[in-house]
Amino acid sequence: MVAAMLLAPAASRAQTDAEVAAHESVLDLAGAFTNDGFKLRDGNDTGTLKPGESTVVQVNLFAGNQYWFSVSTADAKTAVTIAVYDETGKLLKTDPYTNGNRAAAGYAPDISGPYYVRVANSSAAPATFCLIYSYK
Amino acid sequence: MIVSRWILTGALALTGLHAWAVDAPPAQPAQLPADAIAQSVKLDRFTVPTPGELLAALNKVGKPTWQAQYRPPIPTAYTDRPQIALNLGGLIADGYIAVEAEDSQQVKNIGKDIMTLAKTLGVSEDVLRRGKSIEDFAENNEWSTLKEDLEATQNEVKLAMDAQHDEELTTLVTLGGWIRGTEAVSGWIVNNYSEPAAKLLRQPAIIALLRSKLDTLPEHTRNDELVKGLDDRLKAMQEMVSFPVGQTPTLADVKKLHDAAADLITSITSKR
Repeated sequence: MVAAMLLAPAASRAQTDAEVAAHESVLDLAGAFTNDGFKLRDGNDTGTLKPGESTVVQVNLFAGNQYWFSVSTADAKTAVTIAVYDETGKLLKTDPYTNGNRAAAGYAPDISGPYYVRVANSSAAPATFCLIYSYK
Repeated sequence: MIVSRWILTGALALTGLHAWAVDAPPAQPAQLPADAIAQSVKLDRFTVPTPGELLAALNKVGKPTWQAQYRPPIPTAYTDRPQIALNLGGLIADGYIAVEAEDSQQVKNIGKDIMTLAKTLGVSEDVLRRGKSIEDFAENNEWSTLKEDLEATQNEVKLAMDAQHDEELTTLVTLGGWIRGTEAVSGWIVNNYSEPAAKLLRQPAIIALLRSKLDTLPEHTRNDELVKGLDDRLKAMQEMVSFPVGQTPTLADVKKLHDAAADLITSITSKR
């Protein structure tokens, strides 16, 4: 399945080697959720963050579903953090997971609508990341 | 509400990823500034949920009889490229419905229609191979895999469109899927009304994003007869799915939304 997802293109521009590495790494993490019945979205968000920099991505969630947002950097020298916010911008309590250059946040919304996922570079070097999510 | 920790523990144990930490991540700002929300990244492939996500949520508040949401086969001999794109999206939503119904014959039928439409766009062999895999997965009742394969198929079609400089059509694929998914789900809720189900229809940001993408289409696509007629009706639908948190659409509200979606689907599928 991981191999299939790697083959499935998700963006129209060519990915850099670092983005491909981050994608492979985050798919390893998300594979754990897939084993528990979570469906992995084919799409992803990749990019590079300078030290201390962050990016905020809008997602739209449905009440009753469970979600895992997973992120990884391209290498073990860098790390990112992940957090989920509601539509008013309030930080939500999520189930956290961190392991080296990988992090995830689990959330099950009570309200359908837009939410925001913030990925921040917590390392001293630029970090290339790949963000994906799974649902069930 | 957080996802139960046992899910993560069990899931990671299954894959041998034992070295996980339970420490809270470094502090995050308690409040996102308004400009961060306004300037947030919005990606078709990430921000817009698949029809499968909406159907999964509906499964938790009822026991939908998905077969009742089937529609008769649609024409597959369109010549207008925007119309083909809109109908491709609708067919992919139909695929999700058939998967929820665990109806292998219906999945295969829809898969064939998807490939027929995709061929009229001149897409690559890669996409056509996806059609074969959909058929194989349906034959083997691999429903979970099919949900992911349908999205992958949609993304392959979009990439093929990009390769042919038809990038603008990808928005229409997503839009067609959203309209058909909304039609099916609201149709079930009309006949099985409950407040939790009705609240699932709250999707203000999705339609706002799709409408903003329509605004950026090239002039020749915006002037397409079918596309030109979309925005006014989408604007009306946006108002219907933009109710405040805490408010629940009434049965009449849901019926109005269903009628609007069904009316749009009729326009999209009608041969011109």
